[in-house]
Amino acid sequence: MSNLIANLNFSSARWSVFSRVLAATFGGYVLATSSSLFIGKLLLPTLGANQAIHIGLLLSFLVYACAAMWVFSVSSAGKAWLGLIKFNLSLVVLTWLLMLFFEVSV
Amino acid sequence: MKENFRQSMKWFHTWVGLIVGWVLFFMFLTGTLGYFYQEITRWMEPERPFIEHNISNERLLDIAQNYLSEHAQGVDEWDIMLPNARDQNLRVGWRKPPAAGAKRGKYQKTVLDISTGDKVDSRATGGGRLLYRMHYRLHYLPTKISYWLVGFCSMLMLLAVITGVVIHKKIFTDFFTFRAKKGLVGWLDIHNVLSVIALPFHFMITYSGLLFFLFTYMVLSSNLQLSDDEYSEMRKEIFPRTSHLESANEPKDMLKISHLYQQAKNTWQADELSYVEVFAANDINAQAQFVRHETDITYNPHDAVMVNAVTGEVIIQAPKEYTVSGMIHNGFFSLHEGQFAGPIARWIYFITGLIGTAMIASGLILWTTKRRPKQMKKLNGPDFGYRLVEQLNIGTIVGLPIAIAMYFYANRLLPIELSNRVNWEANVMFISWAILLLYPAFRPATKAWREQLQLAALVYMALPLVNILTTDKHIINSVLQQDWLLVAFDLSLFIIGACFAFSAYKYKTLTLDKKQLTKAAKARATKTKGVVVDKSLLPLQAMHRENS
Repeated sequence: MSNLIANLNFSSARWSVFSRVLAATFGGYVLATSSSLFIGKLLLPTLGANQAIHIGLLLSFLVYACAAMWVFSVSSAGKAWLGLIKFNLSLVVLTWLLMLFFEVSV
Repeated sequence: MKENFRQSMKWFHTWVGLIVGWVLFFMFLTGTLGYFYQEITRWMEPERPFIEHNISNERLLDIAQNYLSEHAQGVDEWDIMLPNARDQNLRVGWRKPPAAGAKRGKYQKTVLDISTGDKVDSRATGGGRLLYRMHYRLHYLPTKISYWLVGFCSMLMLLAVITGVVIHKKIFTDFFTFRAKKGLVGWLDIHNVLSVIALPFHFMITYSGLLFFLFTYMVLSSNLQLSDDEYSEMRKEIFPRTSHLESANEPKDMLKISHLYQQAKNTWQADELSYVEVFAANDINAQAQFVRHETDITYNPHDAVMVNAVTGEVIIQAPKEYTVSGMIHNGFFSLHEGQFAGPIARWIYFITGLIGTAMIASGLILWTTKRRPKQMKKLNGPDFGYRLVEQLNIGTIVGLPIAIAMYFYANRLLPIELSNRVNWEANVMFISWAILLLYPAFRPATKAWREQLQLAALVYMALPLVNILTTDKHIINSVLQQDWLLVAFDLSLFIIGACFAFSAYKYKTLTLDKKQLTKAAKARATKTKGVVVDKSLLPLQAMHRENS
């Protein structure tokens, strides 16, 4: 048993790749979603709700692609996860601020 | 991941491309055939009559209206598809009223024989439609699962395209350097040329492919931002439709459609009808919409003319209003499907699609070529992973085209009265593919490549012959009747076969060359010094020199 645990070397290259695959697939998807929320709010005053949301969705695949490439370019899997969390949080906060701002201005 | 960004992306490109390369090959090849799906369907229904030359649109409309008035009473919609360059028969279709609980009624479609005015009883076949639908429906899988799987593969394809550009230092200078050498450098150059030559197409086709299921894939985002009502409102805005009247359930004789057609002719100043839709036929609300071949990638409101089918007056319709983002979305759909393309543009689409398919194939082959020297030196033979990739390559790159030919054979050879015939055509295709995927496991790779290439040559070149033996719509009769669509189809099959024969021949001479060279080099090396030189690492010219 202890042998088995010792074999689970979390710093090995395989684990790093596996962790990055998860980060790119799921973290990337969440980032694509949060970026579309942000764009949906950012373009709201100029283009109206429907078009703003639509454009956010149209661009989300490109955001997803960039996120996945970024995850596989940084030096460690941990950095990738941390970065994704930071990006996601900032986008959510920015979206929330935009919502507040537009409520005030309306 | 690696020392620098470019190195990381190189690694990423390799694995992203490999992991779903075979599914992508399948999607690209069946999708490319979709650019000719109508032509394929026509070929697969040989009971249909030959083309009839010089028949006026008015006469065709009369024949269709007579048939529909008799056989399609009390239905919501009639469609009359006129013969065109892609399908030279007159076809009609109608939608039955929805059954209780269903949203839309069943659609029925049939081909009319112009000389008798009656329907043609064709064999049951999936035709080109089933074949091209496979590229996003993956045939056997449940709808939802195949959409997500296709989305996953497309996303990896998008990544492969973008990283492919990123890792290319000199994308344009490299394009003009083609080193026609054998082995690694040759395959790398082929992969590069195929990728760069149609780069905008590769990007467009992949990105637009994702857009087809935009709201499915980005379900989390759209659910967070839109209620169900807002969502359907938004869809209406992105994909606007022209409206038409519903049936008032008050029967009233319509004017002749051929007579109404004059209105469309006046508007267009030309006789270029593509199809007619009749709503609420033989009702007081009857309307006929005349549509010509699309003249714009996005939208031209003048391509359709709506006429009141009872009074014969033109109904001025408000043109469809597109939003900017909707225009982009629909523009990508249009580019993906190429419905607007005339014969030349259609061939360009087809060839570009084949370039994409070949790009994927060359990338997969490159993966094995790069690893071959090292793998061949292993004591216990190549790794399982390497052998698996090689096997999948042979079984897919040559195996799938053979399987598609088997789909055509099944169409000609399966008994006409077989129940479930449509399914069996597809089953024959996938069973053949499975066999060809397994076959390379039992043969040395070079032999398997050669034998499957030879088999591909044989099946494609023999198809026109089988056509002569099994139907009367074969190449000799087609030439006599000047039905050029059918002539082109049989000729294309033969040319594809000839290309495979040429590859098989080339492959044979190449591998034989190599074998003789290595044998000679080995003999020399052991004789003179007793030191074994690793032949596979020697460039070929050096080996030539050594040999002579």
